[in-house]
Amino acid sequence: MSAKFVLVSRSNFMRQVTRACMALLAVLLFQSPPGHLAFTQSPKPPAQPVTCATCHTGLVAAYAHAAMRNALESPGQDPILESHPNLSVHLGGYSYSVQTKDGRSTYTVSDGTDSLTLPIRWIFGQHSQTWVLEKDGNYYESLVSYFKLEQGLATTPGDGNIVPHSLNEAIGRKISVWEVIQCFNCHATDATDEAKLTFDKLSPGLGCKRCHLGAEQHMVDAVRNNFTTIPKPLKTMTAEDAANFCGQCHRTWESAVRNHWHGQADVRFQPYRLENSKCFTGNDQRISCLACHDPHQPINTNLAFYDSKCLACHAALKTSDPSSLAKTCPVGKANCINCHMPKVELPGGHAAFTDHQIRIVYPGDPYPD
Amino acid sequence: MSLAPVTAAIPRGVSTSNQQKVAPWANSLAATGVPVFLLLVFLLAYPTPACALEPTSPFDDLASHATAARDQGNLALAIELYSRAEQLKPDWAEGWFYLGLLQYSSNAFPSAIDAFNHFLLIQPGAAPALALRGLSEFETGAYEDALRDLEQGVAEGAANEPRNEQIIRYHFAQLLTRAGRFEDAITQYQFFAAKHINNPDLQLGLGLAGMRVQALPKDTPAEDRAFLQSVGSAGYTFLSGDSDGAQKQFNQLIAGNPSSPELFFFYGVLLFSHSPDLAIDQFRNEVALAPGSPYAHAMLAYSLMIAGRYVEARQDAQRALAVAPDMEMAQIALGRSLAEQGDTQRAAELLNQVLQRDPDNLEAHMGLAAIYSRSGRREDAYRERKVCLGLAQ
Repeated sequence: MSAKFVLVSRSNFMRQVTRACMALLAVLLFQSPPGHLAFTQSPKPPAQPVTCATCHTGLVAAYAHAAMRNALESPGQDPILESHPNLSVHLGGYSYSVQTKDGRSTYTVSDGTDSLTLPIRWIFGQHSQTWVLEKDGNYYESLVSYFKLEQGLATTPGDGNIVPHSLNEAIGRKISVWEVIQCFNCHATDATDEAKLTFDKLSPGLGCKRCHLGAEQHMVDAVRNNFTTIPKPLKTMTAEDAANFCGQCHRTWESAVRNHWHGQADVRFQPYRLENSKCFTGNDQRISCLACHDPHQPINTNLAFYDSKCLACHAALKTSDPSSLAKTCPVGKANCINCHMPKVELPGGHAAFTDHQIRIVYPGDPYPD
Repeated sequence: MSLAPVTAAIPRGVSTSNQQKVAPWANSLAATGVPVFLLLVFLLAYPTPACALEPTSPFDDLASHATAARDQGNLALAIELYSRAEQLKPDWAEGWFYLGLLQYSSNAFPSAIDAFNHFLLIQPGAAPALALRGLSEFETGAYEDALRDLEQGVAEGAANEPRNEQIIRYHFAQLLTRAGRFEDAITQYQFFAAKHINNPDLQLGLGLAGMRVQALPKDTPAEDRAFLQSVGSAGYTFLSGDSDGAQKQFNQLIAGNPSSPELFFFYGVLLFSHSPDLAIDQFRNEVALAPGSPYAHAMLAYSLMIAGRYVEARQDAQRALAVAPDMEMAQIALGRSLAEQGDTQRAAELLNQVLQRDPDNLEAHMGLAAIYSRSGRREDAYRERKVCLGLAQ
């Protein structure tokens, strides 16, 4: 289960930035005592605890709805489980039920004679979701997940070949501590400290500092009017850097190649697929992840929204700039990604993923692997 | 825990009666706590000989009797009859295979090697024969030949048959260690940990690989065995997925042997496969303990490179190359590091040096792809990426 990037147009993005700047200005204007110098010479701790939202109000408000912010949910705060308090399915000789009551959710598996019930502590995914369960110090990826499309339970993607021989095995796929660390690193904030899981410090979803390293120091310093420790701006990353940065969780091209990952399942690794595209160039921001996606916003599902991104390179030649020499489409001028970034439905995936390997797709072409 | 018995699917027309015999390597394993192995019978992928159905010539008659003797477990007679049949028809591949198998089962390893030599001239690359010749060569002490054959056999799928996999991988791992290919050996031992197959022999073998001792377990001095088994046990614990348990064992080993080289390195190598970031600390400790070790510097540089810490990687890569100028791992780490710091020309030179010696080096091609991509050479970057995707198939 991976967090999805959220989308916003460049103009929307700029509006967000402008709004954030205005919010910051407003905060400074209204929180500062008369005479800004007085504030800087004699700083007083603000009455309210300072958070990122103190200055970046609009950005933080928008991000609250983004997929990455909700990559992990705590029981009791999850609208899906709250609105589906009794989920059940029978699979492979075992019955599964997920019950939610009074803000607590449990995962029960039964073989008809015996049953095993575990508390759900970690909910991975915003719309469709999988649960990580703990039993006797071991961690398990739940063998069944909730799928938005069906509004019900089914086998967790990738676990279709598991044939449980006991209740314990029927809980789900036992995952190594390394995999647990990777899961939580990409779905939560402060979940790990090197090789140790730090659930006592964990906050669900990806908080600002998960991407913006140094955000905490910046908050401390900003209160004292010191803006020399602003985290490194990410929107100026090159396409190569952005793919590697986002690929920390969405998988980099190099990690996919090093690990010899193949098959349609790697359609979920968007940076890897994007870098396989003929048009990908590491120093061209027009093909950067961030050219199409604003991680602070919910994903934009309007295909036409992305046309301007494609046409940034593939529009009719207007200048002699060699970088603009990309071919124009002889077929259409709208909904580019409908043809050039086809959806791929994974077996048992209960969802279609956009293939980020941009290409000319001919009928009957196999999935380029 | 012990290695499981090694047998194979019985080919058509082959009796199971000769499974009473015990191969010598099985005896050696049995003597060290491994249960007695049954006769290794490899599946031969061609049909029962026509001669077994209806003898029509002296050769057919001999072949038929050889098969019957083999079915009855009369190995000496079967060997004699197969030998005579081969004199009449030296291109009879199946006869050479069974002759080799029977001689291997009779501990007649030089003769078995000779029979498999004939067989492999007729059917080059046949995985079961390669593996059996490799195991025979191991017993005669022809370790380089054994390594070559077992490696090719494994590549051709000889270890895909679950009942043969253990014995093939165990010998292959020993030979890799002896050849100094320690990481490859650890990969083979990982198979046993994943299946929770454990015993002192495996621990000793893994301990030798982990401590980078180019020796076979049987040649290990008695006074070193306990320590090496402890190291192997810690490694085994890690490979079987118990990272906490492994950390405790390694900490105990390090506390008891604070100046022992390679302990940090071994733990780092194990951690590297899961998290290069975590391996970095271990390699740093190894570098502090053995500052002259190019391997430690190279692994540290390489881990830093994989973790994207290119600036830090540069210094250790240079230190490794100062001692071992042709060390590919260090050249790649330095090349990637220089590229990220803007010296793309020197970086490309280093990566191309690697490719001159090793044209299929994936990391070097990946490095070039990154350099071309960052410098806007879209077509070159695309070409290198395609090469990488091909190599990663």
